[in-house]
Amino acid sequence: MKHRLLALAIAAWGASLAMPAHADDAALKAEVEALRAEVAELKAQVQQMHAVQVAPAAAAVAQAAPPAPAATPPAAPNPGRSMADAATGNATSLWGYGQLDYNRPTARAADARADLTRAVLGFNHEFNETTRVYGELEWEHAIASADDAGESEVEQLFVEHALSPNYGVRVGLMLVPIGLLNEHHEPTQFYGVERNFVEQAIIPSTWREGGVAGYGTTDSGFQWDLGVVTSPDLGKWDPTSLDGRESPLGSIHQELQLSKAHDLSIWARLNWLGVPGLNIGGAVFAGKIGQDTSKQFEGDANFPADNSRLLVGEAHVRWQSGPWDFTALYTRGSISDTQDLNLSFLGQPTPVPKSFWGGYAQGAWRALEWNQSSLVPFLRYEAFNTGAAYASLPQGFEIPALPTQRVWTAGVNYYLTPNVVFKFDYQDFRYDDPALNYGNRFDLGLGFQF
Amino acid sequence: MRNTFEKTLLLVALVAAAPALANAAAAPTAASLGDEIFHDTSLSSSGRMACSTCHDPANAHAQDNDLSVQLGGPDLATPGFRAVPSLRYMNLNIPFFFANDGTPTGGFTRDGGARDLVAQAHTPLLAAHEMDNVDAAGFAARLAQTTYADAFRAVFGANVFAYPETVLLAAEFALSEYQRTDPEFHPFDSKFDLFLQRKLMLSPQELRGFALFNRPDKGNCASCHTSTRQSDGQPPVFTDYTYDNLGVPRNAEIPANADPAYFDMGLCGPFRTDLAARTDLCGQFKVPTLRNVATRHVFFHNGAFHDLKSALEFYVQRDTDPGKWYPLDAEGRVHKFDDIPPLLARNVNTTEAPYNRKPGQAPALSAAEIDDVIAFLKTLTDGYDPITNTADPARDVTP
Repeated sequence: MKHRLLALAIAAWGASLAMPAHADDAALKAEVEALRAEVAELKAQVQQMHAVQVAPAAAAVAQAAPPAPAATPPAAPNPGRSMADAATGNATSLWGYGQLDYNRPTARAADARADLTRAVLGFNHEFNETTRVYGELEWEHAIASADDAGESEVEQLFVEHALSPNYGVRVGLMLVPIGLLNEHHEPTQFYGVERNFVEQAIIPSTWREGGVAGYGTTDSGFQWDLGVVTSPDLGKWDPTSLDGRESPLGSIHQELQLSKAHDLSIWARLNWLGVPGLNIGGAVFAGKIGQDTSKQFEGDANFPADNSRLLVGEAHVRWQSGPWDFTALYTRGSISDTQDLNLSFLGQPTPVPKSFWGGYAQGAWRALEWNQSSLVPFLRYEAFNTGAAYASLPQGFEIPALPTQRVWTAGVNYYLTPNVVFKFDYQDFRYDDPALNYGNRFDLGLGFQF
Repeated sequence: MRNTFEKTLLLVALVAAAPALANAAAAPTAASLGDEIFHDTSLSSSGRMACSTCHDPANAHAQDNDLSVQLGGPDLATPGFRAVPSLRYMNLNIPFFFANDGTPTGGFTRDGGARDLVAQAHTPLLAAHEMDNVDAAGFAARLAQTTYADAFRAVFGANVFAYPETVLLAAEFALSEYQRTDPEFHPFDSKFDLFLQRKLMLSPQELRGFALFNRPDKGNCASCHTSTRQSDGQPPVFTDYTYDNLGVPRNAEIPANADPAYFDMGLCGPFRTDLAARTDLCGQFKVPTLRNVATRHVFFHNGAFHDLKSALEFYVQRDTDPGKWYPLDAEGRVHKFDDIPPLLARNVNTTEAPYNRKPGQAPALSAAEIDDVIAFLKTLTDGYDPITNTADPARDVTP
């Protein structure tokens, strides 16, 4: 874009040199003035576009992990970027990432697993300078078929239209802009073999919904998002399964798979990226999740949680300075009107929680770097509870809160290049829960993106 | 004045339309014919047995006597082989299939041999120990003599009686339509339904029983008798339509069991024949709905138990006190799982709670807890009256 405008300016200047010699001076002078004005306008546009690029670039830097020693930004288009960031050479670009893990519980070696956790292909196609389509296609666990454990899924698919260099609108299946990991879940972007528990159990990364959303940045460094999207479906809650205990929202989000869309939600996020290396902000996701289930069965059914509401809030701060990278994040969710639903689940292993929460603090240090490589040890402490409280039931039938899980993770990310990472870590759980695969373990991993 | 004119106009219109309305009301349908057939004893060789004889509408469409197996045939003296299942909520049943993990699921009758609600009626209409029509011709001949034979022709064709096989299939279809469309068969008006609809609260004992019913470490009943709504809001039917081998004791009240070589093994035969080679499935019978279970006179596929308390005690004491349920063999040892050939006794479910215990251990439910579960199961009886706090499935039946 920038190059195109410059070329236009040069062409205009060249054209002015080629003006016929017989033109009278006054006319020629006027023509030159007009061209000068045009060049000045084009220069201003170029400067404006350059300024616009700086803020998102700062955001990208703030969210990239580590603060790349070789400073080669990932080639993959980032949904958080404005149109001005997109590659300008070709209208269509491909990107992708992969993650391979090996987990070995120390007390249950027989449960050791090696897994091609994710293979992802993405694309970005620019229809013109303001409109593009962006998609992410994923395979989990190597093989996806009716008889295998893998999944094949569309993680993102939306059309984005920039209404100005500073803001625009997206329509389609989008990642919920909450937390630090949900939108930036590529393995080179986070420390440790596995994604942190808080942003899996409480914020069900990758959490996506379908709808319409606006996005933008301001000159003062704010990044904002506002959307109206599909809601989770509380009717999906299975009290006989442990899924809801592992991740309450992960068990009821719909991922735009014939999503019940009677009830919608909103999301809102505000980050401040005004100081390079600093990301401080928060997000909320709120809406009804009963989906009018009562009306779907032709009988006298009355789903007892039609009016249930979900509210999830999140706040975070990340500071990257020199070789240091510190992060703290807290998130809390609540589901209302679950009393009667839980009464109908009496005695079942997984009732619906009234509240759930999690938080973590993490520090990483780029200890060594050479050529394009770097070695980054890190330490993370997490605490989370997927059943922190339950709606009150008749005396004698109260549901006790689940114990809070606490996990220390210590390890190292070795970046062969900024986009290829080998990982090793050890995770220490405060209590083991084999049903949820929680127990002390060693992890090895390989991740890459392009 | 205008009012009078309008009334007059309405009266004239009604008089003019009366014949048409009367015809419309009386127009027979497959479902209305199914209603007739269901209650018609003339369609049996004895002249005294209809579908409703064993599937008594007033008793939640199940038997109203204590016989383990019913008597049919020309003199109502020929014994059957299995206990009568209730027909209520069968409209929600699903065709037979093997789930991805190999679990047999769905199907009609106790061995899933009937593919749907239409096929379900086939055996009772023809079998020698039931209505004993022998074949389609015998059934069609009796149906042709009924007062609703003309209505049958009106619905299924003037020449339908020229094709006995078609008559039999049409009658089975009519019975299916009757069960599918008449709310008598699926009223969803038990105390538990009203509880789910938040119109009343269960008593503390009923709530305790419900929790014990669901708890995986106690009754674990809900692992097969699903107690949660489906995602579309459909109230629970208390079956997951799968099959299980519970090792129910042999029932000497079934005359066929006098032959020591005879075993009713459900999915693998002898009545169902397509899975005869699947010996791993021998002894498995379909998990029935527990709606109206408190109104049943006999329990399990062979009617080995005659009261609900005994049935529940068997569930939780089968493995902790087997001597209470099984006879002794010639050497004085308890002959556990005596209603399946010894080589197939390994098929009996001994891994899931509450069957995963050993002799001498405490049963999963105490006597008081069994009483609580029974109190809960009584809330599953149709026809609940909140004023008297009583339930009677007969309340749902049109006089």
